[in-house]
Amino acid sequence: MPLGTLDRTPPPFFKQGPSALSRLMFFSALAFFLMVADTRFRVMQPVRAAVATVLYPVQWLAQRPVDAATQASQYFQNLQMAQASEQETRKKLVAQSLRAGQVEQLSLENDRLRKLLALKEQIKTEGQAAQVLYDAADSYTRKVVINKGLAQGIAAGSPVIDESGVLGQVTRVYPLVSEVTLLVDKEQAIPVLNVRTGARSVAYGDATLHSSLLELRFMGGNADVQAGDLLTTSGVDGLYPPGLPVARVDKVERRADSAFARITCVPQAQMDAARHVMVLKPGVGQSALRLPDDLPAPGKKAVRK
Amino acid sequence: MIMRPGQQLLLPAQPLFIWGSLLVALLVNMVPLGRTPWMPDVLALVLVFWSVHQPLRVGIGAAFVFGVAMDVHQAGLLGQHALAYTVLSYFAITIHRRLLWFSVPSQALQVLPLFASAHAIEVVIRLLAGGVFPGWSILVAPLAGAFLWPVISILLLAPQRRAPDRDANRPL
Repeated sequence: MPLGTLDRTPPPFFKQGPSALSRLMFFSALAFFLMVADTRFRVMQPVRAAVATVLYPVQWLAQRPVDAATQASQYFQNLQMAQASEQETRKKLVAQSLRAGQVEQLSLENDRLRKLLALKEQIKTEGQAAQVLYDAADSYTRKVVINKGLAQGIAAGSPVIDESGVLGQVTRVYPLVSEVTLLVDKEQAIPVLNVRTGARSVAYGDATLHSSLLELRFMGGNADVQAGDLLTTSGVDGLYPPGLPVARVDKVERRADSAFARITCVPQAQMDAARHVMVLKPGVGQSALRLPDDLPAPGKKAVRK
Repeated sequence: MIMRPGQQLLLPAQPLFIWGSLLVALLVNMVPLGRTPWMPDVLALVLVFWSVHQPLRVGIGAAFVFGVAMDVHQAGLLGQHALAYTVLSYFAITIHRRLLWFSVPSQALQVLPLFASAHAIEVVIRLLAGGVFPGWSILVAPLAGAFLWPVISILLLAPQRRAPDRDANRPL
């Protein structure tokens, strides 16, 4: 018992349970088991889901003050700022309405041409809107948590986009929320297509945490890549629908000591400030297009963690 | 009873208050402020506090359970906080007889290595598991935790410092 406490019951002399050292051993071993099971065998998802469900009320409660603060700051925001943002949105809407009008006609034309060429029809991608609840507090990865989960039919592996481009991919689904790994995470990769040249490559998250950049790896030193090139999803993975903007090439360093160029790209989606996102259905990409009809379409690709 | 000279005789701790304070600390840790590696780990602080003051009530098992909860919340590696808190609680129980003989500021100095080791365990595990180094601001976290030790000592001991026989002159 601690010093100077008026406890009415005497401390137990003999029934003290296992010693602190043996408890330390037991729980450390359990923690190591959890880690190995989580990283190597990936069998801990049910445990995670159960704990997450129990924790949900606490998380909900913890979120209230932050939500209240955001709402208050929005409430007291300048009228001018609100008007400016409204103007901006209107301009964007006008610019997009022209394109939206053309898209109808173009997709009709595209359908007819595809029929003419006996190509497979493009599959329409369905999606559902979701809201970003918060950035995951884990400082070693780049993830956000969104407010849709298993209950709303979210599947692991689904691509997530915001209004300007691909944001990331759903990597873990809980009953009520899901985790989205951002494209800039170190372990995330996305197949892209250079719109200007048509060259396909893969963009990886940049390893340094605070940069929010993507990197095009394994592009030869003489590859035709220029700063300002737009990269869109290529759809070869059968997971991301083709044609979504991903990033813009920012810097191309061609070095004499390496056969590869170091190409950094700025993601188009707002990695740090996305609020409203769209979760698309996975596995409806155009990879079936490239296969002959008698081959089965590739199943859902394993989710990268 | 052997006591430090000048130390106040404390009332027994309420189990409800102990677990309530742990839950509140968990809540504080879960406030979504984004990626802030420099934030002190309030839950670790409260766990160490109760492991030192009430080692028979709050021990290594409780620390492990709260660690798993933090892991699931942070969407990190499952078991990373659990291991760190387990080790933290073990060290706290090891030093609990010695620590309370010191004044509160020197107690803070003595718990600083505990927080530092807990954070070091997490960083090493995550770097081994392929994470990205979160930046040097993570060094601030154990320091901030140690600075909060006097505050938490006053707050969490306040219910035990009340007068045993309350009257009109001593309402608290």
